[in-house]
Amino acid sequence: MSVTSPSAPQSTWTKADIKASRKANRKLHRKEYIWAAAFMAAPVIGWLAFLLFPLGFSVYASLTNWNGLGNMTFIGFDNYVLLVQDPYFWKALWNTVFYMIGIPIGLAMSLGLALALARKIPGRTFFRTVYYIPVISSLAAIAILWQWAYNGDFGLVNQFLSIFGIDGPNWLMDSTWSKPALIIMAIWKGLGYSTILYLAAVQSVPRSLYEAAALDGAGAWRRFRTITMPMVRPVTFFLVVTNIIAGSMIFTEINIMTPTGGPEWSTASLVWYIWNKAFRNLQMGYATSMALVLGILVLIVTVIQFRLNKRNEFSIE
Amino acid sequence: MRRKGLSAVAVTVAGALLLAACSSDGSEGNASEEPDTSGGDAPNELTFMFRGGEYDKLAYETAIAAFEEETGAEVNMIITDADQYATKLQAAIAGNQVPDVFYIESGRMQGYVYANVLADLSEYVDQATIDNVWEFGTTAYRFDKESGEMGTGALYGLPKDVGPFGFGYNTVMFEEAGIEPPSPTEPLTFDEFVDIAKQLTQDTDGDGELDQWGTGLNVTWNSQAFIWGAGADWISEDNKTVTVDTPEFAEALQWFADLGLVEGVTPSAEQAQTLDTYQRWMAGEIGFFPVAPWDIATYNDVAANNPEVFGYDVIPYPVANEGDDWSTWLGSLGIAVSENSKNKELAAQLATFLSTNLEAQKILAENKVQIPNLIDYATGEWIETDAEATGWPANSQAFLDIAMEKGRPLPGTWTYTPEWYDNFWIGIENVVDNGSQTAADFVAAKQPEMQMLLDQSWVSAEQAKAAG
Repeated sequence: MSVTSPSAPQSTWTKADIKASRKANRKLHRKEYIWAAAFMAAPVIGWLAFLLFPLGFSVYASLTNWNGLGNMTFIGFDNYVLLVQDPYFWKALWNTVFYMIGIPIGLAMSLGLALALARKIPGRTFFRTVYYIPVISSLAAIAILWQWAYNGDFGLVNQFLSIFGIDGPNWLMDSTWSKPALIIMAIWKGLGYSTILYLAAVQSVPRSLYEAAALDGAGAWRRFRTITMPMVRPVTFFLVVTNIIAGSMIFTEINIMTPTGGPEWSTASLVWYIWNKAFRNLQMGYATSMALVLGILVLIVTVIQFRLNKRNEFSIE
Repeated sequence: MRRKGLSAVAVTVAGALLLAACSSDGSEGNASEEPDTSGGDAPNELTFMFRGGEYDKLAYETAIAAFEEETGAEVNMIITDADQYATKLQAAIAGNQVPDVFYIESGRMQGYVYANVLADLSEYVDQATIDNVWEFGTTAYRFDKESGEMGTGALYGLPKDVGPFGFGYNTVMFEEAGIEPPSPTEPLTFDEFVDIAKQLTQDTDGDGELDQWGTGLNVTWNSQAFIWGAGADWISEDNKTVTVDTPEFAEALQWFADLGLVEGVTPSAEQAQTLDTYQRWMAGEIGFFPVAPWDIATYNDVAANNPEVFGYDVIPYPVANEGDDWSTWLGSLGIAVSENSKNKELAAQLATFLSTNLEAQKILAENKVQIPNLIDYATGEWIETDAEATGWPANSQAFLDIAMEKGRPLPGTWTYTPEWYDNFWIGIENVVDNGSQTAADFVAAKQPEMQMLLDQSWVSAEQAKAAG
């Protein structure tokens, strides 16, 4: 389709001529306008239907007494008042925050692995594949396997610890160790994904920077701290943000490994509690208020991260 | 511009999070794969949504074929995974795609009734039909909207089944230990039970480690019969007061915990985690263990493959003292009809047919899925000839006794929500697994919290009633 622009109006044109020209112009471009609107409409409608409407609906539902089946009754902020007074909400929130401890540990391990895998070592492809397998494996299957591994008597983890003379705990049945157990599993599961991203970032750091630094007498640690770390910061930022969002939604492994919320409710995450409230205890309105609070908390953390990242941004001239 | 971009990212993140947090169960799924659950539009068209295994499907295909021939109806069957059924049904209701006929759990029924999702079947089901079904199977689906009382009022479902949670023993182990088999009708006392369990707990290969135990009971599912057998209960008869703080309750719970902690007649928590007691029972390592109809097919296979270590039969649950009445919990899954079905009468006929069709009941019983719903068949031809002929245990009469008079609903199932009852199990491991808390201290601390949740459940019921 080709579009020819009308010739520029001559100075002898009257107002009527200009008007007629504009009309012709509009007519000529109408089809393009329609197409443009159609293309823009698709994401806008999608955004309205699948994001803004559910979000607005959730906000309203959180202000109602609703069992998820019948009619809603508007109750103002009662759900939020209840939430503040609900010890299980705070416990679930604390558990969820606790799970985040695994994020820096996982990232540090991933970066270490990426640095190792970036070197030309024998069997590099094999190791890369091995570390990535947990990422593509079913979380439900992995959760069941780890449940066995954490067995107090004959589990793989405690057998391994016994080699070093350590008498391991009964991980999933001990309120002190149940959360660390889930964190270890989550780190293991996510290691491959973070490593792959870090590997790409590490490999894209210009060699010339390292060479120049080496010539200036910088040691390995100095090169890592002042070249590698800053150069992979965008990946770190991306991983921290996405891991926090994903971590705040931890559910499946908890529901499989500790279906009643663990010993003394030590593993119950907020999403697990929300799900129970919504679908088992018919408190959809209350559950929605908790989901919103969780959403807002994650939003705040994400905004802070964006700001901190912006402040620390740098560029190499 | 940057701020706008940041806000857009933030809103997107929050929205995505909310959508994910509000999703059904966090499992992966594709909405486009969901079947259309909405009720039939044509005058003879019905949709039936249910869950179950291959034998349920076989039985219902047979029953539905007969129903279609008899009535000219066209029934569209939708079968879902058992663990996703309740969530999918709730989503179907929220999306106004309620099937004409569907399974309903007695314990979740009240919310559905208040939301006017369920049709009252009273006018569609004749009294003779109701009289020929286990009483529990119909009272479990009766609900008085006004008083909020279960077991009375309108009939919102018919039983798909009643599930007696029986008790059994390993016949081979008893024989080898030279212990006389327990009576099929008279319950053991707690003392007798412990005495036998001690005799059965042995190091059979002499390596210094125990290899078989008297019993191995999961507290969440197995303690009810013992608590009830001691005259205690979780809740008052009017379902308004939590009664776990009574001395008899604490005593019975402590006795249950002491089976492992003091008497040493159960595998330890760690041992049970290594190989759960269900597997140990089938490996011939446990003397007493629950036996329910849905286990029969598996147990029969094990008994056929390992007759030297495993055989079983059903007995009454033990009671605290001689002469006490025994009881156990009786579950049920119901078949309900949508209040908004365009073919309500036909749907009610289908629900009745599925619940009471003799051929379907025979298929389900023959394949050890459930005991028959029909009293005349169950207490006649089935118990006299069919049960034994199709591999049910010798004392299957115990199952019928539970269905008839010994069965009780699980405590949380006849209240608006079971949250108060679920709360009881939080921290129970401190009593039964590690013994760091006495049962008396545990129940004393639990009662106020459970009572608060029960009160909240009643308030929620009132609010649901008002909201409609």
